[in-house]
Amino acid sequence: MPGFDFSNHNRNIALHAKGVPLPKATSTGTTIVGALYDGGVVIAADTRATSGPIVADKNCEKLHYISPQIWCAGAGTAADTEFTTAIISSNLELHSLSTGRKPRVVTVMTMLKQHLFRYQGHIGAYLVVAGCDPTGAHLFTVHAHGSTDKLPYVTMGSGSLAAMSVFETQWKPNLSRDDAVKLCADAIEAGIWNDLGSGSNVDVCVITPEKTTLLRNFKTPNTREKKQRDYKFKRGTTAVLNEKVITKEQISKYVTVHDIGDGKAGVGEKMDVDTQPSAPS
Amino acid sequence: MSLRIVPAPTNPSTTTPQLGAPSAPGVHDTLRSNLNLAQPAPKTSATPSTPLQSAHPLESRLANWRAQQETLKMSLLRRQFGIAEPVKRQMEAQIVRAGEWRPSVLGAGTAGVHGDILAGRDTELDWEDVFSGEGEMREGVDFHVEMEGRFGMAW
Repeated sequence: MPGFDFSNHNRNIALHAKGVPLPKATSTGTTIVGALYDGGVVIAADTRATSGPIVADKNCEKLHYISPQIWCAGAGTAADTEFTTAIISSNLELHSLSTGRKPRVVTVMTMLKQHLFRYQGHIGAYLVVAGCDPTGAHLFTVHAHGSTDKLPYVTMGSGSLAAMSVFETQWKPNLSRDDAVKLCADAIEAGIWNDLGSGSNVDVCVITPEKTTLLRNFKTPNTREKKQRDYKFKRGTTAVLNEKVITKEQISKYVTVHDIGDGKAGVGEKMDVDTQPSAPS
Repeated sequence: MSLRIVPAPTNPSTTTPQLGAPSAPGVHDTLRSNLNLAQPAPKTSATPSTPLQSAHPLESRLANWRAQQETLKMSLLRRQFGIAEPVKRQMEAQIVRAGEWRPSVLGAGTAGVHGDILAGRDTELDWEDVFSGEGEMREGVDFHVEMEGRFGMAW
């Protein structure tokens, strides 16, 4: 069977029937947002990757490339968002080469929803699709089961409620570029502070018909503070109780070195040591 | 003739234990059958009863997906243009399939470039195309070995 492998499923349900507990569902945490503005679209994401209660990556990248003017922000299972956007990116490139036109954002959205619908939500990819094409700037959300939305400002992930509250209070139609970037960054920051699954930094991607600007780590509100106290002990803190010096001559009592071959170093004895090259003697 | 878009769920809801070794049908597998030596263990049938690996509903859906889409397309074409259109398309596909040979290093089971164009998926790339399920675990047949076998040069 190509593609997905189901060979362990029967074994797992048989084990479950015997009383082995099912594996616990891992809750995923992310805040991703997107907003349209006059002349383009902005998407933003936090940078925390979690696996259950553990922060797996403090500065991961959740903004995925689809085509030069179309980008995707992903929440849900990290591997699924990564791979789904990669395969849709490949398909889109083939499609645009075949048609000879710039790819449309609706094409990406349709490809994504058809792909995800086929897998019935087993691919846990929750995406915000944003981009500019000859028909204008577009913003969509795609859920893992294949449903889609088209709105002027969207949020997704576990921090979507915190982010949406910022949008609902501060969003205005016809924003300028800088206002839209600030609004999206503020919405992500609301997610960072108020949602446990989101954290670390803010990534922003600004897409205009001419140019895409990826502002990686646009805001870093969680930089590591310098420790207030230094817990390192100074050299010589521990008293030396006794001291024994073994000279080079005395080592021969414990280790003997025999030269094998013609005196040149064998191949196995060569070692790449990563040190500064010493001055020639 | 129904116009189903998604395949009907055909996944088995019950499983029958395979008592023989699935890799070698007809051969007795002690660990899968009983360890009681007093009564002889049954042997597996030569053809496995279920080609699907599991009872997972997604697997049968994915396995039948393309065939279902093809059926839908053909029945829509039949309704719109009459029986001649799907017959013509299937004849074309059959001619192309008969006339093209793909070496196994390029994925022998998959449709060739002509078949892909006729099916309208020449610009599509799916996970099944990338992860073919074959050749990832073991080395596939060498191209030269395959050609020698085709031309009866196996000495």
